Amino acid sequence: MAIAAAAAATSPTTARTTATLSPPPPISSSSSYSSAQLNFGLPKSTARPRTTAGLSISCTMTRDAAAAVAVTEKDDSDPALWSRPDAFGRFGKFGGKYVPETLMYALTELESAFNSIRNDPDFQAELGGILKDYVGRETPLYFAERLTDHYRRPNGEGPHIYLKREDLNHTGAHKINNAIGQVLLAKRLGKKRIIAETGAGQHGVATATVCARFGLECIIYMGAQDMERQALNVFRMRLLGAEVRGVHSGTATLKDATSEAIRDWVTNVESTHYILGSVAGPHPYPMMVREFHKVIGEETRRQAMEKWGGKPDVLVACVGGGSNAMGLFEDFVKDKDVRLIGVEAAGFGLDSGKHAATLTKGEVGVLHGAMSYLLQDDDGQIIEPHSISAGLDYPGVGPEHSFLKDKGRAEYYCVTDEEALEAFKRVSRLEGIIPALETSHALAYLEKLCPTLPDGTKVVLNCSGRGDKDVQTAIKYLKL
Amino acid sequence: METHHFHFKTRRHNYPQVVCANHRVTTSKSNVNPSVLRLHNYGNPTADLAKERAVSADETKRPSTGKFGRFGGKFVPETLISCLEQLEVVFHQVLQDPEFQEELSTALNDYVGRETPLYYAERLTAHYKAQNMGRGPDIYIKREDLAHCGAHKMNNALAQAMIAKRMGLTAVVAATGAGAATGAGQHGIATAAACAKFGLSCTIFMGTADMEKQPSSVDLMNLLGAKVRPTAGSFKDATSDSIRDWTEKLGEVYYLAGTAVGPHPCPTMVREFQSVIGRETRRQAAEKWGGTPDAVVACVGSGSNALGIFHEFVRDPTVRLIGVEAAGFGLNTGKHAATLAAGEVGVYHGAMSYLLQDEEGQITCPHSVGVGMEYPGVAPELSFLKETGRMEFYSASDEEAVEAYRRVARLEGILPALEASHAFAYLEKLCPTMPDGAKIIISCSGRGEKDTETVFNYPIS
Repeated sequence: MAIAAAAAATSPTTARTTATLSPPPPISSSSSYSSAQLNFGLPKSTARPRTTAGLSISCTMTRDAAAAVAVTEKDDSDPALWSRPDAFGRFGKFGGKYVPETLMYALTELESAFNSIRNDPDFQAELGGILKDYVGRETPLYFAERLTDHYRRPNGEGPHIYLKREDLNHTGAHKINNAIGQVLLAKRLGKKRIIAETGAGQHGVATATVCARFGLECIIYMGAQDMERQALNVFRMRLLGAEVRGVHSGTATLKDATSEAIRDWVTNVESTHYILGSVAGPHPYPMMVREFHKVIGEETRRQAMEKWGGKPDVLVACVGGGSNAMGLFEDFVKDKDVRLIGVEAAGFGLDSGKHAATLTKGEVGVLHGAMSYLLQDDDGQIIEPHSISAGLDYPGVGPEHSFLKDKGRAEYYCVTDEEALEAFKRVSRLEGIIPALETSHALAYLEKLCPTLPDGTKVVLNCSGRGDKDVQTAIKYLKL
Repeated sequence: METHHFHFKTRRHNYPQVVCANHRVTTSKSNVNPSVLRLHNYGNPTADLAKERAVSADETKRPSTGKFGRFGGKFVPETLISCLEQLEVVFHQVLQDPEFQEELSTALNDYVGRETPLYYAERLTAHYKAQNMGRGPDIYIKREDLAHCGAHKMNNALAQAMIAKRMGLTAVVAATGAGAATGAGQHGIATAAACAKFGLSCTIFMGTADMEKQPSSVDLMNLLGAKVRPTAGSFKDATSDSIRDWTEKLGEVYYLAGTAVGPHPCPTMVREFQSVIGRETRRQAAEKWGGTPDAVVACVGSGSNALGIFHEFVRDPTVRLIGVEAAGFGLNTGKHAATLAAGEVGVYHGAMSYLLQDEEGQITCPHSVGVGMEYPGVAPELSFLKETGRMEFYSASDEEAVEAYRRVARLEGILPALEASHAFAYLEKLCPTMPDGAKIIISCSGRGEKDTETVFNYPIS
């Protein structure tokens, strides 16, 4: 298994580097935390994670990457040999488990449970059955004929565009793949209580949905501001039997809801499972969520073989936290001839300061338990991101994306609100598919990408969600 | 035409023998000719499609009358007759054309997301068993809510858009309700989407009353590139307007019927394209438990989703076909849409069928919380199934439907469209009567995100 091999391959002691500033007080296991501590947004230049006896794991983050004294593992250009993640949940220097002591046991327990089901045929069969009959998998790989024609150059050449239709899943987005997997895992762990955080409500609705399906108690934390903007989603979650708790601290949005959810988990860890919605957070979440979503890429490989007898040449996906992208990319990371392209939200524009382009404009730090790129100011405080699409409105990004970016394995670009809205309209009119505004970012990037691609290049774009939820927003801006 | 041999009488007046809409036909038992009640016009609904299509091939030689017993027909102005005949010819051609079928099949798979699952509703089943000492039927849900655009409507819209292209037409016209017969504008949305996909221009007629009820549907259609033309009134007026538009622009425009009503060949075409639901269901049932269902339950507005799932099983006498209509505020309040229960036979929108009409033969305004159920008529083929006793029909009130919506949400994490919720509501009465282990398949004809606000605002008793 990958984890065991990784442990053997990576020597933990290579991670020892010097701390250049005196560290903040170590995080104790008392249960009352101020929100500043729980944000885990540590000052930019150092982090002092937990140490265990005999092992010291610390890293230096400086503005100048070249000043970092040591790299965390021997540099290796073959993706098949990368530890993703290693035994400590790190992807290179990213990832990890920057959490209070009370959560360490829960995370370890979760990791062992996950590893045990990975190869358990009964679990996989049950999961497969639910994905098929309840969620509606496998989702089609759809040849977007009119979109392809749209990008055809005057000489008749151009790439072929295929859409992986995650919008056809039950609840209308890819989110449910992970929610189902985690709730089945929680049941196996004997947990009766599920908590989750949500921004606009998609992940909340997906979580409430699976909890209804399996009869578990469900509590969703949502920023008070978001609750106002998304009253119908709040009602939906309540209809599905979930309790929605408003979070009023901080800016009353997603990152505050996340912190509150983590706080709840710390308090109720024995009875409660925390369904994290994306490939962010402490290990084992980034790995687990990716594994539950990787069915997207696996199906794509098989469908591509059926349709054109080969692999895709380019994979494109929008990146908020990064789960749909990892789901599509994972099966192809080791295929060096497949380009991986992630598209983030540039909001009002990169120079405006109102965007969510973490991988382009962020710097490395720790947020919500993992080290990754994040949008932070000079004091290491989280910058409130902006995107017209709530799902991309996250100041961090999954650590594995940070890793793939630094390795040069995946490319990351970004697209403004306006470009995304244009793409929303374009695809609705050309294909009769209304894509989520999040997905529209990936679709918008085709404008820049397609002219550069040789004739017949196979592009697979992850249509991660449907856009019914965004019609009112879009209409306002598009003035149809 | 055959129809000219009928005498139209109402209770008070003798109308001249003129073919037009809204005539009420009273038939005493002696008028009903038993020979008319044979299963005429039915192809073999099993997977033996070749045989069915061979039958169709014969029919290309002469246009048929489109009767299901005494129901159906082509009660239309003369100008439309040749158009309908041409449509029928093309319809039979595409049924036989392997290229068309292949393209349709690919689009249904890759674009619409077929086949939709047959999902075992574990918690719903347990819920009913718990009420009956652990004994009760096993409930399976046919998930048409997972189709692209969120309802079964797409199956038909896609196929007909392809027919329009084949006929060389570049413009499509259709009528939609806030749902009436179409599910909250679902037919309009599905048509707009299919037209976008095939690059056809699309005009949707919608009643102003319905546009007010469901402005989000209008937004969706606009976004998909369709033009929405308002008609004073509701779906029935929109339908009349769209047919009028079609008549004016014959040869330029394709009329896309959304449901199994209207003049022949529309009911047959729509049923044929929706019958993919039933074919899949048979195969899936065989895979899952090696048999056929004991009962198939579907909501009935105008009847396309019901026919889509029933048609396959019509010739299986062990399969009960159960249609659930909208009882609105109650069957005795006059504010409902239970056509088969409370209607009488007449001619409406070109076909003879049951319809809700008053003593003057004027169409009454139906009501249901599920706007897709608000059609005062019903598919002629369903009228036929009722009259032959092949199908059972019941109804559920607004309140029962909203209750069912909440119940299915809480127990299965599925939000069924309010239309489909009527079918779910009927489980309350059906399950206690079914033996332990009986298999019920219920058609979840659409998803209910569009109805969340209605349910939110619905006063809880």
